Amino acid sequence: MKPVVELKNLSKTIRSKKIIDNLNLSLYPGQITGFLGPNGAGKTTTIRMMVGLMKQTEGDIVIEGVSLRDNFEEGLSKVGVIVENPEMYKFMSGYKNLLHFARMHKGVTKERIDDVVRQVGMQNRIHEKVGTYSLGMRQRLGLAQALLHRPKFLILDEPTNGLDPAGIREFRQYLRKIAETEGVSVFVSSHMLSEIELMCDRIAIIQNGKLIDIREMSEARESFYYIEATPAEKAKQLLTDGGFTVEPFTDGLLVNAEQHQIPDLVESFIAEGLQVFAVQPHRKTLEDEFLEMTGGGQIAEAYAK
Amino acid sequence: MLKLMQNEWMKLWHKKGTWIMVGILVILTAGMMGLMKWISLQNMGGEMTREGMIQDPSSLGGTVLLLTVIVAAGIVASEFSQGTIKMLLTRPVKRWKILVSKFLTVNLFGMFLMLIGYVVYLLLAMLLFKSDAGESLSSWSVWSKSLYMLLLSFGNVFITSTFAFAIGSVFRSSSLAIGLSLFIYFTGSTISALLSQYEIAKYLFFTHMDLTQFETGMMLVPDLTMPFSLAVLAVYIVVFLLISFSTFIKRDVTA
Repeated sequence: MKPVVELKNLSKTIRSKKIIDNLNLSLYPGQITGFLGPNGAGKTTTIRMMVGLMKQTEGDIVIEGVSLRDNFEEGLSKVGVIVENPEMYKFMSGYKNLLHFARMHKGVTKERIDDVVRQVGMQNRIHEKVGTYSLGMRQRLGLAQALLHRPKFLILDEPTNGLDPAGIREFRQYLRKIAETEGVSVFVSSHMLSEIELMCDRIAIIQNGKLIDIREMSEARESFYYIEATPAEKAKQLLTDGGFTVEPFTDGLLVNAEQHQIPDLVESFIAEGLQVFAVQPHRKTLEDEFLEMTGGGQIAEAYAK
Repeated sequence: MLKLMQNEWMKLWHKKGTWIMVGILVILTAGMMGLMKWISLQNMGGEMTREGMIQDPSSLGGTVLLLTVIVAAGIVASEFSQGTIKMLLTRPVKRWKILVSKFLTVNLFGMFLMLIGYVVYLLLAMLLFKSDAGESLSSWSVWSKSLYMLLLSFGNVFITSTFAFAIGSVFRSSSLAIGLSLFIYFTGSTISALLSQYEIAKYLFFTHMDLTQFETGMMLVPDLTMPFSLAVLAVYIVVFLLISFSTFIKRDVTA
């Protein structure tokens, strides 16, 4: 598959400090890629460079084969952007706002504007002033302006900020729909890990300006079981003898065992006279993995220093 | 470019402030004319005639300048303070084009205010003042003089608003831009007069801002000629715009 967007050796230096260090990343059509990282890792800087708000120090961004460095206007004409809270002109109606942005793209007709308004379900209030809208309405309008010109690439920075649970769900389903039906490549940065987990096919993790991991969400995960038994020491001994890796977790132990091994395990525990309180499958959340990979983020780092 | 200007024009007129400005312009112009009439009735400034008034509409310049400066200062700065700059610059349009459209819109707005002010001015001149037997309104010389004075007084509007535009786009603060511009507008002539015996006064832009001085003869610094003034102003305008464009194009938008 040909990537829609390629970041090539992207670097950004601000006052001799390397904020982004040699970032390489490809984004594919029909895929939703999540962009994760602790605060200050360089997520926002990367996104701002991709949409033309900041200039890269080195490297290039290629969108559908067009380099942003060489041909900014053509490259960016395929990108739809929502940067944080979409700030609109509050003194104008939602429709006038859309008209304003439509004029800045080539070939967006009045019919297309009406279409998009219907898609995001705002027909009833589109002619009211944006100042009267709720945050959820503004987010919808933000989405509408990003979709006007039928972008091949949609880039979203903290898109679900301020949406209620129903709104988040609707938003997620909508993104999935346009990714699948129109083959749009979507790039989402968010702090809400559970959100990313539900939404994305693929996750890129950045720390200190470097890309530390890219993984597919569909990848089979290792299976873990949570076991609580006393005496704990003996249980641990038994498990390590059986060739499992064991780590303590809350009151019990976390074991990398497969489902079919569990009955035997329990049997051996009972045979050894252990008291078994709980045996349950344990799914490592993205949060656990994220914290493992990034070392607990900045607050933990600050304490360690 | 036309579409971008259409956008700027639309945004401008959707702000209540803009309509209030037009209102202020009409009221101030009318008030000024009323005052002139009153002075004329007291017979202090000599008899004022309809033709005399029409020939010198330059008093409009000050009001228009004040209002245009407010728009010029805010047109870039407000995009930053509203946060809409992010939405504006993530479009497939190069930044210099956006800035040009804003600059042209400011000047169009200045001209528009000038026109409105001029219409009000003419109407009141017709209503309030008696015609002088000597000169006739049908004579071309009265009107050409009138339009020439209007153009000269617009020069000041253009220069000061360009200054405000540059400050506003560099420092992203409309209040700073308005403050500085009006400070220069009000104190510029005093500074020029104080420095008038030194060579440097000739090269300060506020010495040349008021182009009507060549018609009224009230020169701030002796030995100035119109072409020289225009040349000095042109250099300053280019410098202001260069600074404004280069910072706007290079700026990393972080807010």
